[in-house]
This record gives sequence, structure tokens and C-alpha cells, in this order.
Amino acid sequence: MLDRRLAKNLDHGLLLSVMGLLLLGLVAVFSATHAKQAEVNGNPYTFLLRQSLAAGLGLFAGFLMLNFDYRYLEKLARPLYFANLGLLGLVLAVGHTAGGAQSWIRFGGFSFEPAELSKVAIILSLAKHLEKREDIHRWSGVGSAFLHVGLPIALILKQPDLGTALVFVGILFAMLYVGGAQPRHLLTILLIGAVLTVPVYFWVLEPYQKARIMMLVNPYADPTGNGYNVIQSMIAVGSGRLFGKGLFGGTQTQLNFVPEHHTDFIFSVIGEEFGFLGGALVLFLYYYVFRRGLVAVAEAKDRFGSLLAAGVVAMLFSHVLINVGMNLGVMPVTGIPLPFLSYGGSALIANLMGIGLLANVYMRRQKILF
Amino acid sequence: MRKLSQLVVRRRVAFLFLLATGCLFFLAGRLFWVQVIKNSFLTSHALEQRLHPVPIDPRRGTIYDRNGEKLAVSISADAVYVIPAEVGRDRRKAKENAELVARRLAQLLHMEDREREILEKVQRRSSSEWIKKKVPPDQARAVREADLPGVGVVENPQRFYPNHSLAAQVLGIAGIDNQGLEGIEVAYDRYLKGLPGRVEAERDAHGNIIPGGIKRYIPPRDGADLYLTIDKVIQYIAERELGRALKETGAKKGVVLVVRPKTGEILALANLPSFDPNDYPAYPAEKRRNTAICDTYEPGSTFKVITAATALEERVTTPERQFHDPGFLRIGKHTIHCWRDGGHGTQTFVEGVENSCNTVFGTLGMEIGEERFYNYIRAFGFGQPTGIDFPGEADGVVHVPGSIALVGWVNVGFGQGITVTPLQLLMAVSAVANDGRLMRPYLVKEIRGAKGERLAVTQPTEVRQVISAATAREMRRILRSVVVNGSGKRADVPGYRPAGKTGTAQVAEAGGYSHTKVVASFVGFAPFDDPEVAVLVALYEPTCGVTFGGVIAAPVFQAVVRDTLSYLRVPPVVEPKEKVEEDAGAQVVVVPNARNYPRGEATTILGRAGLSFGFVGEGEIVVDQVPKPGARVARGTRVVLHTAGPLKPGDGLNPLE
Repeated sequence: MLDRRLAKNLDHGLLLSVMGLLLLGLVAVFSATHAKQAEVNGNPYTFLLRQSLAAGLGLFAGFLMLNFDYRYLEKLARPLYFANLGLLGLVLAVGHTAGGAQSWIRFGGFSFEPAELSKVAIILSLAKHLEKREDIHRWSGVGSAFLHVGLPIALILKQPDLGTALVFVGILFAMLYVGGAQPRHLLTILLIGAVLTVPVYFWVLEPYQKARIMMLVNPYADPTGNGYNVIQSMIAVGSGRLFGKGLFGGTQTQLNFVPEHHTDFIFSVIGEEFGFLGGALVLFLYYYVFRRGLVAVAEAKDRFGSLLAAGVVAMLFSHVLINVGMNLGVMPVTGIPLPFLSYGGSALIANLMGIGLLANVYMRRQKILF
Repeated sequence: MRKLSQLVVRRRVAFLFLLATGCLFFLAGRLFWVQVIKNSFLTSHALEQRLHPVPIDPRRGTIYDRNGEKLAVSISADAVYVIPAEVGRDRRKAKENAELVARRLAQLLHMEDREREILEKVQRRSSSEWIKKKVPPDQARAVREADLPGVGVVENPQRFYPNHSLAAQVLGIAGIDNQGLEGIEVAYDRYLKGLPGRVEAERDAHGNIIPGGIKRYIPPRDGADLYLTIDKVIQYIAERELGRALKETGAKKGVVLVVRPKTGEILALANLPSFDPNDYPAYPAEKRRNTAICDTYEPGSTFKVITAATALEERVTTPERQFHDPGFLRIGKHTIHCWRDGGHGTQTFVEGVENSCNTVFGTLGMEIGEERFYNYIRAFGFGQPTGIDFPGEADGVVHVPGSIALVGWVNVGFGQGITVTPLQLLMAVSAVANDGRLMRPYLVKEIRGAKGERLAVTQPTEVRQVISAATAREMRRILRSVVVNGSGKRADVPGYRPAGKTGTAQVAEAGGYSHTKVVASFVGFAPFDDPEVAVLVALYEPTCGVTFGGVIAAPVFQAVVRDTLSYLRVPPVVEPKEKVEEDAGAQVVVVPNARNYPRGEATTILGRAGLSFGFVGEGEIVVDQVPKPGARVARGTRVVLHTAGPLKPGDGLNPLE
């Protein structure tokens, strides 16, 4: 069990915010699914139970993460990295296709998304990689990091899962920045990336991805096709007004106008049923999580911890930005879940493990003096 | 390992913190905008999306003639609609489903050539779209049986004109969406159309009605009914006689107008050739034109009624004044010829009217003077709309004093250099018939609500007293003598003593008057001393040999007056003069019964009794007669037989039904 002295150093604010988000997520998932589940299989609690189970597993995994000094994880970094590559390859080989992407592996009665867990694995291995390099301030160091993350990104893009790939890029940049890369190097890469978007848009992106980006400019150009999700989401959120329509009172939600609303569009459910106040509360809780995460980055006892924490914060932040932005019609629709809120076990477990890492880094921030 | 100083790490973390906070603030701002500022749009959008209102058209008001005969009715017809949201409710297959539905609908409704249009409607982002209205029953059944997703069939009222082309230009047409497009249908559209209702039911994203959701039925409010001044039987008489005249004279088109001079009610308004409003797209637009109201022409000699009335009223002439006509009239360096070579010699004013002498009327035009003449022409209602309740009325052109040479007014004196609508001219002549009082013509007598309550009743409106009653009486006597002694002999009807004036106007063309194209016309009223009807006949561009109005238009007038007055039960008067002309052995006979006999037998019965006869209606069986059986009349009196009976399919007219 946890050392009592260490437990005293736990970041309670962080854990409380995450618990709050988790609870809100369970309520929203239940609200979004109970009616349809009652109709489909007679049990309105199906999704709630599954999500609760995942939350329990996730909390347990996160708790495990707390129990040893994160430095031990360094030893796991390399095997995890290769195991991750193997899994991502496996997905492409035997994976199950859902929603146009081949992202799932099934075994037994469960299926899971390796890409979700691979985020944590990559954070670990990249942290170790950057810690060992002496040349992060040079192009060679930056380049090595890009190679390190580039391989899994390539595999994920092949699924294709643009959203997760974007999250990886966010993690990479944040960790390079905190790890000591020169801002001008990072800016140069960003610039090249921006210039490359034009040929990438025309030559690399799948038609569905192009359509989702075009839809941002004018969702009403194709209101029943690519613009449908966003318009429905905005209608749901917008009709929630300041105080919302109350739990289970969201007409657009309850009548399933918003597609995928228990997963990627869970924010619209909260927006409709709890109004601006509910949405703002969620954003505030995230704000608090990021804030505590960044404190851990700054106060970590070593570079490895700092990099770990930075990676976790970047992962969570990219998810929130992309997902909420998509719900509010300012980001393209890329199937990315909202951390702790969206229905989906793999992501939930991965995110809670990430929180476990953050808490671990923070808890061990200083040499214990007594 | 190169280590960043703790300070640099903290600075970088601070930067990341600001970046994250900024992004979250941006999202919160966006959230606030969507939920609080833009929300009314999105809230209503949300409701509209759930309500899917299905409109229910109101019943369009019926148009009746003055006796309650149906002229335009709304009958129920099937209409096919689609709810796009239901077609596309499986979003993965939305496109395929829409294409499937569009293809099937195009087949079932025989609209293969418009499949693209249907597909566009099926995918439109709206609560419902009409695919086709007025769907034949078999197609409607096929669509119902096909049970396509999101496709429904509802009953929707449709306009039907039971008499087909009868009074078509008066009634006008109503479009498929219950909107008046022409004629009375558009003039009174706001009364006829009523208010649409709708069924609203809250539905989920899959288009299923939500139990216990908002449900509303807003009943449509039916349109009001119109009762026209038109009498279906008189309209039929007018169209029948006009049609016969067009056939016989080869005229391009023709107008017959019948009004009641004392009130301004229009009893019949016939324009031929006509069209069937049930199938209006099949006809060229000019057949839909109401020439009697909307087109002008140069009236020619019929306008001399106005000149004569003005001259009498202003004491420019007396009936007895002597005129000399050498066959031309010299005004300065202009010479105006009378229509008759060699002229009419010495004649009184009355004889001048009987002869329709241009020299006499040209002289009067000069003597009245442009200012005074202009004022009378305006007072008779020319150059301005009559104010009839019909859209698109023409004004006609009346030159303002000073705008044309003085000699121009000589021409106006006999009806050239001025344009009028047939309705204006008839109303002006009706003023003569109505003791000098110009009435405003009207077509709608009454508007009644759906429950029969009177919403509006049109009262006859006197526009002004144009000439004195005495002058009008004098004019009527003169016009009667035109029929008895002058150019209008063929217009006479024994017993009904009509009065009127002929006209044969050359059609103005670029650069002058046509030598071949004329408008042959006759305008008058009957009986002359107490006019019940005023009638105008105009035949445009007849192609037969003799095209004088007195020859080809007067007989139409005669037939219309004869049949109309007998239909209206106006008692014929046996004039002393006519009595004298008959044998000294004129005797009184008792009218036998001819009712319920076929045509042939009825005529035999009447012939045996020494009576003449005339028919009203195209039927085979005599259903009524005027005078009634048992009446005592002079031998040779005309008995009018009203017929009905087996009708040709499609002609739809049964005057006495």
C-alpha cells in the first residue's frame, strides 16, 4: 500500500476534479443511452454499467500507477514501445472495422482500441528517449524524437484515425518543448507543416477527411451528410441555453438527433441538458486538471517525471480541444473522445492511467526529507 | 545530458499554461455564443425539426353564378408529399435511400423525366415537400401500396370548373397551390383562399411520432364563396351566339357583353375563342385574355352615341336640325369623306344618326369644341378604368385638348383617334339607357362565408349623372329609330323594341388605317323605353364579304336580346305599328302547352296554334316555355322554349338544372 508520507503529498484537487468529470460522464452517458437501450434490449442501464466497469478498471489501473516510483517505468519503456508497434500492426492485420476505421481488436466479449493505450506507451517511451538524448536543443535530437513517434503515427494514420494522430503530434510538441528543444526549431517544423497541409489536403487525405474539413467552413453545404453531426450537435448545445433543459430533458439528445452522442458528442448532451453552466463547469474542471498537471511538470523531481507529466497533460489537452471544438463546430469531426466523459473503456482506462502517472510524478516531486 | 535551468522550465510551463487557458477560454466563449447569444435560432431550429408540420390546405371558396349555379368548385384530389428526414433517417444509406425513393416515385407517378427534381426535393432540408398534386386515384393507390419511407398521400383540394370554357376568362384560373392566378380567382383570391391548417406532431430523429409529445391539429379555415352577377344561362346564350357569328364571319375573335344598365351588373361576358381552365396550360395565353375588359380598340361609329348625346345635351343640335352631306367635309385643308360615296344629301339630325353619317358627326365634333367634347368623353368614363372588380383593366387613350390638331376632334366625333374597351363603351351607352346615370360595372354580387353567412353584398354604384334624363330619353328614341329605320334593322326583335347603334371601325395599323381589317360592332339596349339589358357585340377582323356591323354584328345582338329577355321573363310588347303591319285579321290565340315534349313535337304543337317559336338551350326536351300555357297572345307571337335533356358528355352545361 501507499506510504503514508507519500499519500500526504497526493494532489487531492486533481483527483477530485477527475472524479467530478467521471461522475458527470456517467450521468451524461446514461442520459444519452437509456432510452435507446431500453428499447433495444430492455435494459436502460447497459451502457451505464459498462462504463462504470471501465471506470472501475481505470481507477484501479491508475491506482497501480501510483504505487511505485515512476522511475521503474523507464525499464518498461522500450518493451512497451515495441509491444505497442506490434499491437498497432495487429490492428491493421486483423482489426475490426467500425465507423469507417479499422481501430479495434476483439477478444472474448470485449474489444479494445490499442491506439488509446498506445498514447500512454508513447508518452513513456518518448520521455525515456528524450531524457537520454543530449542533443534535444539541436536538429538531430528533434529529428530523433520525430522518428520515434513517427512510426506509430504512420500506423495510426493507416487505420485511418486522423484525430489520434493529431493527439500524438500534440504530445510530441509539448514534450519536446518541455524537454528543452529550441522554440525556433519547433516553429520551423510547424511552419513546414502548415505549408505541407496544402499538398497533403489534396493528395494524402481521404475524401471523407477532406469533407470534414470543408464542413468546418460551411456545415450547411451538406446538412444531411458531412455537416449533419455538427449541425445537430450545435442545435442540441444551442437549445440548452443558459441553464439547460434538465437531466433527461434534452429533446435533441433523447430523440437521438445527435449521432454518436454518448461517445464523441457527449459534450452536446451536457450542453443541452445542463446548459451553458454545465458546459462551463466541464471546461473549468479541465482547466483545473491541466493546471495541476502543469504544476507537476514544473515541480517534478527529475526530467523524466517532467516529461511524463507534460506528455499526459498534452494528451488530455489535445483531446479536450479537438473534441469540444468539434462539438461546437470549430474543429473538424475526427472521432476523438472527450477524456473521462465519453463512453469508451479503452480511452477511459488510458486516461486514468495517465492521471495516475501525473499524480505519481507530483507525489514524488521532492526528495522526502523526513 | 544538457539540462534546462529550473527557471526556463518554469517559464515554458507558464507558457503552456497560458496557451491551455487561452484555448479553454476560447471554447467557453464559443459555448456562450452558441448557447446564449445564437440560441433562439438554434432552439427554434430544434423545435421545427421535431414538429414536422404537415400542411392541410383549406377548401377554396366556390364561385357561383347569380342564381347559385356552380362555376368553379374545389374537389378533393390526392397529393403526394415526402418528409426528407424520414427518407434519410438511416444516415449511412441516406443517399441510396433518397435515390431509391426518387426513382420509385418517378415511376409510380409517371414523372420519369423529372426524377432529378424529385431527388432534389427528397434530399432537401425541410420538414416536408410536395412531390405532385392532383394525382389520379390509381397512381395514388400505387404510391400508398409501395409504402416508401417518408412518402405519404393526403387529400388536397383541387380546382374544377364544371362548365369548362364557359365564362373562362371571367373566372380566370387558380394554380395548384390554391392561389388565384387570373381573373376573378386572383381578384378575390384573399376571400377565396381561406387559411391553411396543419397537423403538428413531435417526432424523433427517425420520424416516429413521440407518444405524449406535442400534438396539434390546427384546422384550415375554408375560403368564402362568391356569387357573381353573371347569369349562367345568359352567358351561355352570349357564347353560343358569338361562337356562331365567329364561324359564319371568320372573325379572329369576338366579344359579347350583357349588362343590366340600371345597376351595372354584368350578366354575361363572353370572349371567344376561349379555353378550358381545367387544362389551361394547353392553351395559348391570348385565349385567356379578357378582351372585353383588358383590350382597347377604336370604336368607330358606335361612338357616335356619345357624340350625339353630348351634342343634344349641350344644345349644339336638336333632333330636327337640318344637315347637308355632300359626301365630304372640308376642314381647312383637310377633307373628310363620309362612308357613303356621294353623301346622304339633306337630312335631319335623327336621319344623320340613322345613316351613321360621318359628315354630320364630324361637324358636331367641331361644333362641340375640343374642351367641352373632352369633358363629356371623360364624364362618360373613357380614358380611365371603369373600376370593375377585375384585374388588368385597360384605360384607353383619350387625347387631351390641345394635344392634337382640331381636325382630330372631327375624327373623334365619329369614333376614330380614340381607343376604348368594350366595357367602357357599353357602360357609356348604358348611361344613356339609365337616364344619364353612369354606373360602375361589377362582377361579384355577394361574398358568403363557409356557413352561408353574407360577408359582403355589392351595392350598385352610380359614378355620375353624365347627361340629363330628358336628353337620355331623347337619345333612346333616336337609337330606337336607328334600329327601326336605319343601319341597325337587323338588330330588331319583335316585341322587345331594342335600340342601338352599329359600328364598323377600321383597325388602326402603323401609319394609318387598315383597308381590310375592321371591328364590326353593335351596341344597344332593350326595351328602349325601359331598358332591362344593354348589349355590346364586337367581331374582330371578320373575313367574310360584307363586314358592316349592321350586317354581321346586329344579328348577334338581336339573338342575344331576344333569348335573354325571354329568359328573363320580360313581357314582350306588341307595338301598334307591328299590329298594323300584321293582317287585319290578327287574332288572339291561346298558347298551348309545349312542355315536356321533344323539340320536334313542341314545334308542331305551336305551329298548329299559329305561333312562332325559338329555343333556348341545346337540350332535347322542352322544360319550360314563355309565355306560359293558357296565356292569350297575338297570332304569330314567338314562344320561347327552354330545353334540357341528354347532354353531350363534357359540355357540362344544363341551364335549368
